[in-house]
Amino acid sequence: MPEINVQQLDFSYGDRSILENLNFEIASGSFITIIGPNGSGKSTLLKNLSASLIPQKGAVLLDREDIYRINKRSLAKQLAVVPQDNNVDFEFSVLESVLMGRMPHQNRFTGDDERDVAIARWAMELTGTWDLKDRYITTLSGGELQRVVVARALTQEPKVLLLDEPTSHLDIQYQYDLLELLRTLNRTKGLTIVAVLHDLNLAAQFSDQVILLNRGKIMAYGPPVEVLTLQNIKEVYQIEAVISQNEITGRFNIIPLGKFKNKPDGVKNIRVHLVCGGGKGAFLMDRLYQHGFEVSCGVLNVGDTDWHKARELGLEVAEEAPFAPVSPKAVEVNRRLIKKSDVIVVLPVPIGKGNLANLEEVLAAQVNLKKKVVIIEQESIDKRDFTGGTARKLISRMIKNGACTRKNPNDVMELVDEEINEIVKDR
Amino acid sequence: MESSLSVRKRWKYLIAVSFLFLLVESIFTTTIGPASISFREAVGIILSKFSFLESLFGGKEYADVHETIIWTIRMPRVVLAALVGGALAVVGVTFQGFFRNSMADPYVIGISSGAALGATIGILTGVGDFLGMFQIPLFAFGSALVTTWVVYNLSKVGNKVFTHTLLLAGIALSAFMSAIMSFMMVLNAEEMHKVFYWLMGSFANRNWDHVIMVSPLILIGTALLMFFAKELNAMLFGDSTAQHLGVNIDKLKIVLLVLGALTAAGAVAVCGTIGFVGLIIPHIVRIMVGPDHRILLPMSFLVGAMFMVATDTFARTFFAPVEIPIGIITSLFGGPFFIYLLRKKKVV
Repeated sequence: MPEINVQQLDFSYGDRSILENLNFEIASGSFITIIGPNGSGKSTLLKNLSASLIPQKGAVLLDREDIYRINKRSLAKQLAVVPQDNNVDFEFSVLESVLMGRMPHQNRFTGDDERDVAIARWAMELTGTWDLKDRYITTLSGGELQRVVVARALTQEPKVLLLDEPTSHLDIQYQYDLLELLRTLNRTKGLTIVAVLHDLNLAAQFSDQVILLNRGKIMAYGPPVEVLTLQNIKEVYQIEAVISQNEITGRFNIIPLGKFKNKPDGVKNIRVHLVCGGGKGAFLMDRLYQHGFEVSCGVLNVGDTDWHKARELGLEVAEEAPFAPVSPKAVEVNRRLIKKSDVIVVLPVPIGKGNLANLEEVLAAQVNLKKKVVIIEQESIDKRDFTGGTARKLISRMIKNGACTRKNPNDVMELVDEEINEIVKDR
Repeated sequence: MESSLSVRKRWKYLIAVSFLFLLVESIFTTTIGPASISFREAVGIILSKFSFLESLFGGKEYADVHETIIWTIRMPRVVLAALVGGALAVVGVTFQGFFRNSMADPYVIGISSGAALGATIGILTGVGDFLGMFQIPLFAFGSALVTTWVVYNLSKVGNKVFTHTLLLAGIALSAFMSAIMSFMMVLNAEEMHKVFYWLMGSFANRNWDHVIMVSPLILIGTALLMFFAKELNAMLFGDSTAQHLGVNIDKLKIVLLVLGALTAAGAVAVCGTIGFVGLIIPHIVRIMVGPDHRILLPMSFLVGAMFMVATDTFARTFFAPVEIPIGIITSLFGGPFFIYLLRKKKVV
């Protein structure tokens, strides 16, 4: 059953339209995050959901009731808000500040009874603020104040909790503490949570559903995996990012790389071939791919991390059966890919008897076909040469023949840019 | 029990003790003056006025002169001073909560001048004479209300009220209204001294009629403002927080402006503009009892009353037989105090 129902909502500040024709539902008991770039209307949307702002058109329904018509007190019993700015200049104790959350439940002249204090204490213990109870609220740090405000919101005993960037003032451990607390409340008490978050990874990690806002419109609404795709992130934030499955947590991480650069016109056909494996090439594959280069890899064993990545991106791959040495047939495929490419990048993969052929092909192409070769030496070849010196010899011959060396895969991007300029000139 | 809550249990006693103190102070000050009257006698005279108490005290006879001095001359003045002091302090507290700023005060933000202008118009033009003795309070109230509304809207940028615009708007508006008052006084030269003395603020020659005239405004205004103590507390945390705690902020603001203007107008109508009481008293009381309006409002009323009764006694006796308008005294103390607050807070 939907708890919150937004219907054809338009909101503008004067002439400036902020939200345009929003329609969505938030199911009871869900954990929703609203994300989007600055100025996309996240906070404005949250303020519309909490009746702080009144839309020009449309409605927000809470349990089928229009929230602009519900009287403020009964609304405060159902819906609590943690706003972004909470500065106070007056010296209330922390406990008194939290107890104010009981206001909607009290009469004008009744004080706080034992139940009120018990609820405040419960909320303060959850948020780790009980120890601060006798401190003046004016003396708290930004992070402490933030947690006190959350405690006050919980003291309202709401069904829905709206939070506007609740983690922005918090140190990393408190960010996780807070979001984990919210998730626990969400799971155990069925508290519906709608939070505006800046951090895409936190959004991905904690929420059931993500609303991605862009220029006042909903770009996507759904589970994090479906919403936080490279395509969406690129379009909305105009940055490049890598999404990777984290081996430790099993969750996916979004790693922003930098401002998105469009490749220059007329270099569509630049091809880069990667000698990679074991995940060493995944990063470059992604970046090159996003820059619009045609990328190929070889030879990779089926099931290898880089093989997965290449498949995901739809790259051409010379492949070999899992854990098998490179066969002549795979070498043949690889040779064709190398021949087609303009630049070959050799990543710091361990070289053994099984994949030595990859290096041999690169050297052959460098000598015979005058291909550009870039060698990444993040880790010295001596440490990953399992061929008794043959691999090292091949690498040094490449360098002697004019191959560039770089310490970091990231440097390749600049290098590739230079190469492009040269290639464009040559053509 | 938690320490920051156990303080609340003492509130009742604090109020009771303060009220008792105010009572004793008021009676005591009626004995001060050229005619020396003992405290016992003063108590007796006052009690004898409440006929239902007469049987208790056996209807003792007092000197007519003393009875007139205590009951007809000094007592109404003391009661009026207490009412006005309390009213100004309560309005000060209210506007400080309203603006979330401890610099606000009916005098500083121009409400007192607004009320004074209304009263001046009433005194000099005689418009609305049919209202009888409520003419001046009503004029003061109407004009105070308009002033408050104008200052509020001038100092609001977006949804925020800025201190400097607030103070500047108050100063600008006060200057403007003073000019109008001066102009009116020039046009009515023969009545100039009347308005002039009234403007400086004084309790001289006030009688029970004055008490009857303004006590409804002040008592009703103050009592109703105390109804909104919890809402005012929530307002200190910001408009949006108050709203999220279930306060209908737009409605509340209108109610508070009207009640604040009503109470301030009651004070100004009867004794002119007495500055800075609404600033000093709430500040001191806040240091004593904290920012919670449930205790801050009643205590400010009581302390404001005590302060005004004492100051008025000083005003009428210190340079006797010359009486200093009380507004001069409060401004002499209040001005420097205000500067001290500004320096300390470094208001932006």
